[in-house]
Amino acid sequence: MVLPPNVSEADFNAALGEFRSAVGASWVFSSDEDVALYRDSYSINWGEPEERVASAAVAPARVEEVQQIVRTANRYRIPLYPISTGRNLTYGGSAPTMRGSVVVDLKRMNRILEVDEKRAFALVEPGVSYFDLYHYIRERDLKLMLDVPDPGWGSPMGNSLDHGAGYTLAAFRDHFGAHCGMEVVTPEGDVIRTGMGAVPNAESWQDFRYGAGPNVDGLFAQSNFGIVTKMGFWLMPMPEAFLSGTITAPRFRDLDALVQEVSYLEDLGLTGMPQYGSPAGQSAFGPGAGAMASLMQNGWPSAEAVENFVTAQKRPAWSVQLYFYGPEETVRATWQAARRRVGKAIAGAAFQDGEFLTLPIPKEKEPTQPDKPRLGIPSLEVFNMVARNPQNANDPSDGHADLFITIPRKASALWESSRVLFEAQREAGMPGRQSPFATPFTYYSRCFWTGTTVPTWRDPVKNARSRALFQIVMDRCAEHGWVSYRTNPAFQDLLIGKYSFNNNSLLRFQEKLKDSIDPNGIMSPGRYGIWPASMRKNRA
Amino acid sequence: MRQMLFLLVVVGFSNCVPAQTASVTNGKAVFDKWCAPCHGAVAPKNVMFGNGALAGTSALAVKYKGRLPAVLEQRTDLTSAQIKTVVRGGLYGMPITRKTEVSDAELEDVVAYLTRNRKK
Repeated sequence: MVLPPNVSEADFNAALGEFRSAVGASWVFSSDEDVALYRDSYSINWGEPEERVASAAVAPARVEEVQQIVRTANRYRIPLYPISTGRNLTYGGSAPTMRGSVVVDLKRMNRILEVDEKRAFALVEPGVSYFDLYHYIRERDLKLMLDVPDPGWGSPMGNSLDHGAGYTLAAFRDHFGAHCGMEVVTPEGDVIRTGMGAVPNAESWQDFRYGAGPNVDGLFAQSNFGIVTKMGFWLMPMPEAFLSGTITAPRFRDLDALVQEVSYLEDLGLTGMPQYGSPAGQSAFGPGAGAMASLMQNGWPSAEAVENFVTAQKRPAWSVQLYFYGPEETVRATWQAARRRVGKAIAGAAFQDGEFLTLPIPKEKEPTQPDKPRLGIPSLEVFNMVARNPQNANDPSDGHADLFITIPRKASALWESSRVLFEAQREAGMPGRQSPFATPFTYYSRCFWTGTTVPTWRDPVKNARSRALFQIVMDRCAEHGWVSYRTNPAFQDLLIGKYSFNNNSLLRFQEKLKDSIDPNGIMSPGRYGIWPASMRKNRA
Repeated sequence: MRQMLFLLVVVGFSNCVPAQTASVTNGKAVFDKWCAPCHGAVAPKNVMFGNGALAGTSALAVKYKGRLPAVLEQRTDLTSAQIKTVVRGGLYGMPITRKTEVSDAELEDVVAYLTRNRKK
């Protein structure tokens, strides 16, 4: 049995009794067997004293029950940790940031409160998953498209509150950016509604985000200032058509021009998330493996050596897939415009038409439809990349921790960050897996993400190696101003320490808010480096 | 002796109860919602690494190399204990499933569904 820090067993049991009165005995989980279900399946500290395990869990079904839980927690100084669907794997899953917290499992708050087809929004509770919302929309034949993350079993609310992202147009794939209005139970048990939700009888809560005065919505993302119990989201009207196309650029040095042209389309809202690739780099997984090993054997290669490698592979250095949404006339015209512009900017660029679909795709074709997330269809197919597979048949990991850094959207930044990642991997005693052909993630349209994934295990020795690699990579990247947007609770103090401008003035400001909003420090202590005053000494 | 006989009867009977009360029909519905997105039989043909299978199905195909069906719904050897251990404990990349997601009663239904063709 794990107790919350500085809480007596008697107080803990009294609090559990009040939780049972609030939600019903069957929705308070305190046996070792039940509490174990709240472990982070992908913990990088599995089975070690540092593993962030819960002391209990309580699962309310209504906002009034959440308020009662919060008031009890204040009475007994019980740290709470809310989760929505608990599927934030690699970033903590259903486990708390601080060991001994009571998880507030919001999965039972699973009502889809409103979906308005004409105004293209949804209002949902925390336990609603992307699958739930998708099926709701399809069953009613509403002409709306979701933007889903990959995998899609999380919740719109939880994903957006951790700044998750999807695949369609930039306005929708920034999931927090596409929210409009929230309801929050404060750490003292009050209920607030943001934006137009603060106006009694207003009918525009999901239409206008700001209302008047300071917009506080951002305070409730990646933080510990309240429990969000309702949230609105803008949805994309179902496009009539979807078209994809692939562009290839022959030379390594063409990336800069390619990025410029793709960014032009992105910033005009004309393409969904561009998918960069490297046919020449990919050849290293086949016949080009020996050549790639030679290229990298003496450390980071020169640009000239990389260009020579590309020439020898006889494959284009770069590719990018573009995805167009809209009426058939406009998607075809946009693809033609993209071809014209890139053809003029990059000598030798080549173009291949991709899939054309009229939307929505018929229900019977859904199971075999590739690229589901691009079409707003939630799936778990991405797990093929981490599960046991033909390339990793004998030693699949038990999970992974992701370290993606934000870099400027330009080829030179990608080159330099790949070099630093390569050297950090070697410094940690691992093979330098990052190559000059690493391609950027473009979930957020105005920046690139790049980085590395480390395996996690139910083996402390292997996890120690993964943690060491993770820390070295994080430190080396931060020296260049490249840091993550999101991280596993085991590294949140470390990450927030990198946001250190003016003697950590941003964190100090957040701590002042914390002390005012949550004087007893009961809400998610330590989440993203924000500790209550009484626990600030715990900060790494 | 009579007490022991009574106990044996009760224990024997109680072991049968889940199979009698659990719903294969509901078990399929729960399986379709929670398990099939990874362990189903139908998948796109171009999924990376998967050879046309979903992640769980693909992983089991690689693991069993044809010795056992990779599609869980085609298995005739699964036991209640196996299913519950994996659902509640996770395995490799498959995470733990909580009771607020799949209740104990629903898990019994899944067991009933996946063991419906179990060879006696």
